[in-house]
Amino acid sequence: MALLRDEDREYLKKEFEKKIRNPVKVLFFEKEGCENCDLVKQILTEVSELHPEIHLSIHDVESDEAKTHGIELTPAVVIEGEKDYGIRFYGVPAGYEFNSLIEGIMDVGAGEVELSEETRKKLGELDKPVVIKVFVTTGCPYCPGAVRLAHMFAFVNDRIKGEMIEANSFPELANRYGVYAVPKVIINEEHSFEGSLPESEFLKEVIKAVGG
Amino acid sequence: MEFFIKKENEKKREYDALVIGAGPAGLTAAIYIARGRFSVLVFEKVIPGGLAATTHLIENYPGFPEGVEGEELGRLMEKQARNLGVEFAMEEVVDVELEGEKKRVKTRDGEYEGKAVVIATGSSHKKLGVPGEDKFTGKGVSYCATCDAPFYKDKKIAVVGCGNSGMQEGLYLLRFVRSIDFIEYFPYIPADRILQERVKKHENVKFHLNHQVLEIVGDERVEGVRVKKRDTGEEKVIEVDGVFIFAGLSPNTAFLNGKMELEDGYVVTDEFMRTSIPGVFACGDVRKKVLRQVATAVGDGAVCGASVVEYLEGR
Repeated sequence: MALLRDEDREYLKKEFEKKIRNPVKVLFFEKEGCENCDLVKQILTEVSELHPEIHLSIHDVESDEAKTHGIELTPAVVIEGEKDYGIRFYGVPAGYEFNSLIEGIMDVGAGEVELSEETRKKLGELDKPVVIKVFVTTGCPYCPGAVRLAHMFAFVNDRIKGEMIEANSFPELANRYGVYAVPKVIINEEHSFEGSLPESEFLKEVIKAVGG
Repeated sequence: MEFFIKKENEKKREYDALVIGAGPAGLTAAIYIARGRFSVLVFEKVIPGGLAATTHLIENYPGFPEGVEGEELGRLMEKQARNLGVEFAMEEVVDVELEGEKKRVKTRDGEYEGKAVVIATGSSHKKLGVPGEDKFTGKGVSYCATCDAPFYKDKKIAVVGCGNSGMQEGLYLLRFVRSIDFIEYFPYIPADRILQERVKKHENVKFHLNHQVLEIVGDERVEGVRVKKRDTGEEKVIEVDGVFIFAGLSPNTAFLNGKMELEDGYVVTDEFMRTSIPGVFACGDVRKKVLRQVATAVGDGAVCGASVVEYLEGR
């Protein structure tokens, strides 16, 4: 049975048609016995059928493709275009996070993201590697805002990686990072904050984290 | 399993009516305004459905005999509005200019003009304002059960507030947690009897009525809630791993920046949902009123929408 509603499928087809100008590669990483892998695979399959330029490929977590992308956990999704921007989804991109998946695909397909000039400029000046982990749950309406910013920041600067981590699929990880409320954002392992922040505030946290 | 999509549309810069907030009140007002054949733009910073969208199940809104998930109700209302030509700006409003014939609404992304403005920004779960609450927010203190419940699997938690929100969310949390200590300021449970009965069927719940929360205690994380029995003054610490707070609501009116008369933070209107400023209306939880429910928000929204149509028609 299809997961997506017909009306949503129609809406997405139209939006993809409008926005996608470049090929979008959706890489899915799985392993045997992985609890939510089949679900994520089905979500991605249904989405990739909505536009001819969305190309889904499926890889094992032990594959070379996984190594070059630094993927060690499953289920994992990478969205890339002409290059790997550092956009990652770990766990199930459903519920409110489905929107983050869709918008990530559209950003890469459009080749641009909606960030202010000021934000782009400051992100461009960052010369250190940044990994932004955003812990979420699928029932959290405040979470996609944080995920979107992490992914858009990753899109703009190649040194930045933006990772959505759906906490329910990775309870040990959530535990290790002391996640008890979402969204929780962890930048370069050390710096963290809770809650959804607007673009300029989120940017300040990133700059603070890298000692800028 | 639900798949949420934030739907975008083309936006103009000028509309007949600007509605701030896409909860049940704002969406109902927008539906009425659109049926009057006026153009309307609705602003929303999180998701359509408002606070109700974080309610896992709404059982007292007629028309849904099995209850309806808050998220689904929001989606259906949004769809109905869109079908009528209502447009949406998924943007946070940061400032307003309400005086004069042309009103302005500024968001983080742009500026819009309208002849009428509807304030339907609703309310959020209120902070208790006790020591430890801010310190432990995200470290054991939570205001959103649908967001954070999975982190409390087999844990002991407290729920502060035994109104309908506390009880309804408590029922949801009981699917995850080991036990709940319910704490209520009043000597009775304010929630609907039907909810009380359902909660009390669980063996792993305990009620602390007539208790005031003094402090949320812990070292790195929440370890307990210190409460005082209001009649005897007796204090105790209830040991828990987390605290969910559903004790009262607080209006979302900070963006009004003193540009409108407020009472305890709420917008004051007459029975036509008119504020003291001509062409500016308010409806739903943000308004000074007695009962804050989806049903009353929808009622407000209908009156408000009709008033806006009258105003725009120059009657």
